[in-house]
Amino acid sequence: MEQISSKFSQPSRQSRVAIAIILIKFIRFTIRTFWPIALSIFIGRKSGSSFQDIIGYVALGLAAFNLIGSVLTYFRFYFHIEDGAFVIDKGVLKRSKTNIPFERIQTINLQQNIVHQIFGVVSLEIDTAGAKKSEMTIDALKKEDAEALRQYILEEKDQLSEVAVTPDSTEQAVQESFEEDVILKLDIGDLIKIGVSQNHLRSMAILFAFVFSTLNEVTDSVSDMVEEQLSGYQEAILSNGWVVFAGSVVIVGIISFIYSLVNTVLKNYDLKLTTRKGGLRVIRGLLNKEEISINKSKVQNISWSDNPLRRAFKMYTIQIEQASSAQADQLKSKIKIPGSYMQQVKQILEIVFPKEFIAEGEKHKVSILLKYRIFVFSGVLPALVATSVAFYHLRNNGLWFLVWIPIIWLTTSLYYKKRSFELNDEMLTNNRGTFGNYHEIFQLYKVQAVSIKQSWYQRRKNLASVVFHTAAGSLRIPFIPLQQAEELENFVLYKVETDRRKWM
Amino acid sequence: MTNTFQNLSVNLAELPEVKQSEFHGIEKKYLKVSLISRSLWFLALIVSAACIILFNDDIDKGVFEFGVSIGPILLFWVFSLGYAIKAFPRKRYSLREKDIIYTKGLLWQTRTSIPFNRIQHAEVKQGPIERMFSLHSLKVFTAGGDSSDLVIPGLEEENASRIKEYIMGKTALDGTDQQ
Repeated sequence: MEQISSKFSQPSRQSRVAIAIILIKFIRFTIRTFWPIALSIFIGRKSGSSFQDIIGYVALGLAAFNLIGSVLTYFRFYFHIEDGAFVIDKGVLKRSKTNIPFERIQTINLQQNIVHQIFGVVSLEIDTAGAKKSEMTIDALKKEDAEALRQYILEEKDQLSEVAVTPDSTEQAVQESFEEDVILKLDIGDLIKIGVSQNHLRSMAILFAFVFSTLNEVTDSVSDMVEEQLSGYQEAILSNGWVVFAGSVVIVGIISFIYSLVNTVLKNYDLKLTTRKGGLRVIRGLLNKEEISINKSKVQNISWSDNPLRRAFKMYTIQIEQASSAQADQLKSKIKIPGSYMQQVKQILEIVFPKEFIAEGEKHKVSILLKYRIFVFSGVLPALVATSVAFYHLRNNGLWFLVWIPIIWLTTSLYYKKRSFELNDEMLTNNRGTFGNYHEIFQLYKVQAVSIKQSWYQRRKNLASVVFHTAAGSLRIPFIPLQQAEELENFVLYKVETDRRKWM
Repeated sequence: MTNTFQNLSVNLAELPEVKQSEFHGIEKKYLKVSLISRSLWFLALIVSAACIILFNDDIDKGVFEFGVSIGPILLFWVFSLGYAIKAFPRKRYSLREKDIIYTKGLLWQTRTSIPFNRIQHAEVKQGPIERMFSLHSLKVFTAGGDSSDLVIPGLEEENASRIKEYIMGKTALDGTDQQ
């Protein structure tokens, strides 16, 4: 260990590959910022050599700017270890020196995108607690160096906290004899199963959103363009309306299917979930290889869900949410692990939460009035409005809108049947879902605030909704008897106020 | 008390009840602040509606046009002020030994409790209209994001900073387990 500390005690630069990686970052940023302009110039270009020259110069200028920028960024980036703290000194125009004490470091994650993989380097991401700017990234380090550095920092950090807390000897013994267990490993067969059973409707929505936002940026009105493009074929379309419709549905379906499949495989390729001291570790990815460490104490809630397709494989998607200090890294703090069987879900729960409290408890239902409320407000009322409008224009064909009512009745019934919660001394489980099942579980003492909400309708029926705010979002239990809600409120507050464990 | 949750190790009936704690109303002057800020908002709305009519050549500038556009806004204005007056007594806060509680809302009533050992920090703020009435707001931040942050408006300066000191003192005491 001495070696490492001496190796990093002098301010050192990153691996030279960092120049390439920073350059790519720069180029990506430039493209992301300027592509609408570039595209509009490209589309709207006129023949004439002078205009094309200008474009050429602009592109050249940007490229040079990027290159110089990334080289400067590289040469003005130093890091070293000093007095139990990690120091980063960087910045070309705005210089900054950041000093992160080891005990403030939450996790250190390693990531490899395809360039990293080619050159055998990794990027190292240091996640700290509390501060607004919660992350520091070193773009490229030799893999061995990064791993050694991480181990060194984490070990130093542990020693520091052990001095401060002095845990009882038994716990220490357990920690010393710790070995990594593999909980979950996904092979290509599993990945295909997961990809096939993805929520394809959602990928369809994402694709649509992407296409439309892109078109929106390029042309002012999409409809104009569509009309222009299709005007030539108008007659053909009108006469073969159903064929065109069915055809596009099939095409969109196939594209979304491929999209979700490819997406799943790329993201979760070779996924390995292992235990580590104080939590879990995930390694995954094909083009962008990432390694994420999960700290047990930082986990705010765990949820697991399936959908009708997934149920055929008996697979669940686990989502582990950690406390996030800044709004920006909210996405990073949610780690989704698809393709776990119930046994693995249990295993993860038992690692993160105290074992003795993980058992299915009594399911408390919410009031049946919730079902009627949803049915009336998203079923009956919209259907009646739509039907009356449609009836006025379309006569009897408008009555088809009434089909909405039984559909909503069925889905609400499914939803209500699954809506329940379980409570024990340590945690609360929230069960819901319409076609699939969704369960979320959190430890009571990690709650940040409790709200009781009552609408005028709920007040008349003596019902209330309880909202638990955690550091990773809010959980809601709607429509339970007021007295029960107040009992929950009192109990959870009592739990939070008497518990002295670390919540993050 | 019913016995819905029988598997718990504590007797729920013996826990201190949030709703039984002693609640304090905020300063009466704050009602004026909220009426004025609502009115300003509606005034801006009316001015913009009038501007649209005045500067758009396609719209006639008759009494009817002004009535149709501004009438509903006036109606909502009256409703909004009435609601503010009715809802005002619901704005109440309570300090207990280990948490702070704030209730608000008339049609949609909310009661939020934040334990002191989960408070990240607290600050005393003052908006321009509040300054005219020398009132202050106390804002309490948690790690639970915007939805769980608490704002208690309409406090005298002395009171606001006293509560803030009280809260910060408590969080400092409990801070040992939070790094």
